[in-house]
Amino acid sequence: MPNQKSKERVMNSNPDWVVSRRDFIKTSAMLGSTMLCSGVASPFLADNRVWAEEIDNTYVHHLPENQIYSACQQCNTNCGMKVKVVDGMVKKIDGNPYSPWCMTPQIPEETPVKEAARIEGSLCPKGQAGIQTLYDPYRIVKVLKRSGNRGENKWKIISFDHAVEEIVNGGDLFGEGHVDGLKDIVVLRDPGIAKALAEDASLVAAKKMNIKDYKAKHAENLHYLIDPDHPDLGPKNNQFCFNWGRIKNGRGDLIKDFFSKACGSVNYHGHTTVCQGSLYFSGKAMSDQFVEGKLTGGGKFYWQADTGNAEFCIFVGANPFEANYGPPLRAQKVTEGTVDGRMKIAVIDPRCSKTAARAWKWFPVEPVNGVGAIAMAMIQWIIDNNRHDITYLTNANKAAARADREPTWSQAAWLVKIGSDGSPGKYLRGSDLERPLEERAGKDETTWNFDAFVVQSGDGYLSFDPNDENTIAEGDLLVDTTVQGIRVKSVLQIIHEASRKRSIDEWCELAGIGTLDFHEMAREFVSHGKKSVADLHRGVSQHTGGFYNVTAWYTVNVLIGNIGWQGGLCKATTHNYKGDLPGKPFDVTKQYAGGIKAWGVNIIRHSAVYDKTTLFEGFPAKRTWYPFCSDIYQEVIPSIGDQYPYQIKALLMYMGSPVYALPSGHTLINILRDTSKLPLFIASDIVVGETSMYADYIFPDTTYLERWEFPGAHPSVSPKVFPIRQPAVAPVIENVTVFGEQMPMNMEAMILSFAEKLGVPGYGENIFGPGGHMKREEDLYLRMVANVAFGDKPDGSDRVPAADAEEIRIFEQARRHLPKGVFDATRWKNVVGEENWPYVVYVLNRGGRFQSYANAYKNYQLVNAYDKMVGLYFENLVTTKNSMTGKPYHPHADFVPGPADCTGNLINDREDGFDMTLITYKYITQTKTRTGGNYWLNAVYPENFVEISTHDAGRLGFKSGDMVRMVSASNPGGEWDLGNGTRIPMQGKVRAIEGIRPGVVAFSLGHGHWAQGAITIEIDGHVVVQDKRRARGFHANAAMRVDPVLKNTTLSDVVGGSAVFYQSQVKLMKA
Amino acid sequence: MSRFLAVEDSLVRMQRDLDRATSEDPKKVKWGMVIDLAKCIGCHACTIACVAENKLPPGVVYRPVLENEKGTYPAVARKFVPRPCLQCQNPPCTKVCPVTATYKNEAGVVVVNYKRCIGCRYCLVACPYSARTSDFGDWYTEGVTEADEVVYGKNAAAESYEADPATEYGKKWPKRGKGSPIGNARKCHFCLHRLAVNMLPACVTTCIGRATIFGNRNDPESLVFEMIASARAYQLKEELGTQPAVYYLA
Repeated sequence: MPNQKSKERVMNSNPDWVVSRRDFIKTSAMLGSTMLCSGVASPFLADNRVWAEEIDNTYVHHLPENQIYSACQQCNTNCGMKVKVVDGMVKKIDGNPYSPWCMTPQIPEETPVKEAARIEGSLCPKGQAGIQTLYDPYRIVKVLKRSGNRGENKWKIISFDHAVEEIVNGGDLFGEGHVDGLKDIVVLRDPGIAKALAEDASLVAAKKMNIKDYKAKHAENLHYLIDPDHPDLGPKNNQFCFNWGRIKNGRGDLIKDFFSKACGSVNYHGHTTVCQGSLYFSGKAMSDQFVEGKLTGGGKFYWQADTGNAEFCIFVGANPFEANYGPPLRAQKVTEGTVDGRMKIAVIDPRCSKTAARAWKWFPVEPVNGVGAIAMAMIQWIIDNNRHDITYLTNANKAAARADREPTWSQAAWLVKIGSDGSPGKYLRGSDLERPLEERAGKDETTWNFDAFVVQSGDGYLSFDPNDENTIAEGDLLVDTTVQGIRVKSVLQIIHEASRKRSIDEWCELAGIGTLDFHEMAREFVSHGKKSVADLHRGVSQHTGGFYNVTAWYTVNVLIGNIGWQGGLCKATTHNYKGDLPGKPFDVTKQYAGGIKAWGVNIIRHSAVYDKTTLFEGFPAKRTWYPFCSDIYQEVIPSIGDQYPYQIKALLMYMGSPVYALPSGHTLINILRDTSKLPLFIASDIVVGETSMYADYIFPDTTYLERWEFPGAHPSVSPKVFPIRQPAVAPVIENVTVFGEQMPMNMEAMILSFAEKLGVPGYGENIFGPGGHMKREEDLYLRMVANVAFGDKPDGSDRVPAADAEEIRIFEQARRHLPKGVFDATRWKNVVGEENWPYVVYVLNRGGRFQSYANAYKNYQLVNAYDKMVGLYFENLVTTKNSMTGKPYHPHADFVPGPADCTGNLINDREDGFDMTLITYKYITQTKTRTGGNYWLNAVYPENFVEISTHDAGRLGFKSGDMVRMVSASNPGGEWDLGNGTRIPMQGKVRAIEGIRPGVVAFSLGHGHWAQGAITIEIDGHVVVQDKRRARGFHANAAMRVDPVLKNTTLSDVVGGSAVFYQSQVKLMKA
Repeated sequence: MSRFLAVEDSLVRMQRDLDRATSEDPKKVKWGMVIDLAKCIGCHACTIACVAENKLPPGVVYRPVLENEKGTYPAVARKFVPRPCLQCQNPPCTKVCPVTATYKNEAGVVVVNYKRCIGCRYCLVACPYSARTSDFGDWYTEGVTEADEVVYGKNAAAESYEADPATEYGKKWPKRGKGSPIGNARKCHFCLHRLAVNMLPACVTTCIGRATIFGNRNDPESLVFEMIASARAYQLKEELGTQPAVYYLA
């Protein structure tokens, strides 16, 4: 028994520490050699060890029966995790070795779970501390109803059923008068009536039908409308609004579809713009394709660097070592890349972030306008030095791209008509040159007229179709000419001219960076073929000109044609889970067959054009309209406050805290407190948070360790993936009964219960066919998992292997601690059927399905590449009028200085003595609002600081440790007024450092809480005493600039929607 | 497969090294660690993973990460130094223990026998690296709300993640509040309870920069052996003659 000795040795050799004489360490075969051969079982060989009861090492975390693989949500990276459960409690959390988030490359999917049990992937400190989110002493466990005014922090406990009843039926709920219930709001239920009202309403908006005729025709049904004089606002159902902070698929489908498909409301809005909205919506504009005569169909998405294969990466306003979906997903790829010699990085950031600290070059950029200026300098430098990829850029259509084996093609060579004032307008089309239109068949037996685009090709002008797969269209790149009397320029010419508005030296001076350093960066960027990449994030997008900053930096990437190439720009790819593809087991999109189709203008006016509605009464509009983006977080509550374009009667806030998270979030407090503006406010939360404290009701939710969700992927994840969050532990909240079923009192139970009481379609018996009920969360989620397990090929050839008997045994054993309300093997199996069950288990046993790293690359390209047209010139912008100015939107990458208000006027608070620019960042131990109660994390970093340069500290007479207050033009008092008599000054301790640009003040997000245990509250007469550790540090979002026109909203990018974080001027005063 | 594609995570390599070590003649195995400061990004994951793995109370930290800044704007460097117990092969701490509660085991790991330790803290003073801390019996949940009727509350939280000590040294320890390790000197032990079941120490597996390398430093095939031989390798306060088994790469 050779291993007996080994046991003694590793434990101890002292006789006090008598250890087992049993042979329980049986060494596995060598890992690597077999592991590298794909298709061969991994070498974590099963052994004959006897488990827990026979060993006296009391450590049992390594047993597969004590582990469940799931997905973290301590931040939005959503890393894979291995949850170790002992005695029914989570004891430790580590990284999931099957997940490409936690290892590069991850272990082979075929590795049996028994063999993976001892292997852990990496996980960041927040992930490691997740136990303290789950078992937070301030977690709410019952439904709370306010017993004072909103925000007074006085609550009473109310039963779940009673709360649902009150919310659905309404009444004098608070002794303040009648409140409409959901049944009074969700009134239009007949799909036929809805369709008729909607179709004619769009005719009215298009001025094709008179409003009098509309009213006469629909006289019987006008009572369903919010405003019969403006039928295009839609039905009263729209006055039921959903706003969420963090939601992913699965859970997201259940709750969003409840609003949009079951209740027929258009108002379901996310939080994207507080994160990186203009990044997403630049991606949307750039991914529009030419479809039946229109440039349309772009996806809300963005690209990131294929971090593990780039040779040179410029991180622009991105900090993957601390945030940016970096740790652990990207950090390893960068540290190994830079230290072991594959890659070099440059970082553009006003602060010497931890990423910048490891960079070849750190560019301490001027935060207000510097980032865009550097992009323009890059564009100019690359084109003037002839280092753009001419072969790639010349390709004007699909055939040309495919001939060069390029995944994408761009509009660089396309010709654009130039107006008399010199500004670019619409594309030059064949019809402009009197070339004939071509009638083509469209979908649904319609026809459309194809009008060709045009490039210059030598002496001629070539008509082409961007989607043509056979006839190659290549064009000249820098064109400025007149054709048949029409002045035209190529897209690249237009962008090049924009980049030449200033010299390189002038751009660098504007950006506050050294010209020599810039030249070195530019030279490096063009010296690695397609393995150079600029990776962008919040520091690019959260500006009033965010859309233009982002498109400019993406244009830099397009100049070297790196999209879809290994080491270039990568996009996220996930498996289809809704089942709306041939061969899939469950098409869950059919759930709401009997529902009405939601219609009408939404409360935040996204994807809508002001002057094409009946609300149009000249420019400017009362508030900004956002035709090119959605999920504009900062617009939801202020629009409710202004009741524009109509009143919201009930708001449900899920896992969101806009008061804390948004710039100028303090402006939301008075709106939320005003019951005349917002009569009913319901929150789903795990604590009484900074925003849910103003709610009428708070429903407790399950945390990420107790529930389902499908987190999707990030753009830097090159393999095709589908991570799964699943219940790992018994919820700390009690069960309730909905649709006759026992389930934890979480968000799903709340929604299902609303649905049951309202009687809206999509729930109950036989929804997914005979015997296919929709009464519980897993009725939906397990079907989605079955779809993923099946794969995306109709013949099932993409299906995962079936779990064998041993894996099914481990699966059930690992869930032995879960209560019946959460897990019941028979019930779960019945949902997906015997046939699908082993495949579902296989996927759940691994925390999802993950393509191997090796299979994500082929011939130096990404297998899951973005492989379509890349837009550089946005005709849709130039043909749409800005609701605040009446002028067309600017249609291409450019330098757009800020900060500007919503009408485009520049704001200059610097002139008024606000001499410092405020920026924020993430310290890795905190996520904005979620991690304040994680005591282990607080021990590492108990409070944040007012970080300024030693130069400014000297100038202002501050030293480290001094208390200073932050004031701004829109918050001269420098405080949070909670509206309940409490005022919190925005003050913190100075930390004078070298690693920040002079003139900039930074603070890390996640401290300075005034709810979730940071303040004392009362529930049912019990005093829930504050824990002062949770209130430490400060939060300075309220110093950020309020838009001077709107007065209740932060500054915003009117194109891409971003809320502005990096363009506020402040002043520091000794506190 | 394309050129340059990563083919194996170093965690997998180290797992293989570990499996080989534990099948070795134990007398030939000496555990060692190398911390690559160029790959450390100051994320503190190791600190928290260790706290979570070993259920360390307030004031007890086995593996802090020190952060500092050097240079003058704009030529600024930031340094992050994880500092576990350096597992000296000539440890000053063990020599001052009046009850021989702390000693170096056969594999070169300096351990503490909680049952013998009398909490005199001589070893804390003797350690030139400040790698030992005392367990004063504090709780993270001290001072939180006790309104257990209306929120999850202090008792449930404490019971959930603080009351049961971790299985340090493979032992089951009594509920916190009743003896060891309260009152004892505490320190990093390379997660011996994990090594016993062929698992790498918690700080190693959680390291998101892959800065921490662990293995049998006597095994020429191991990654840790290779890294100790790096030109960048050095020991902390080498001049003291403590001969740490934890090396750093500059």
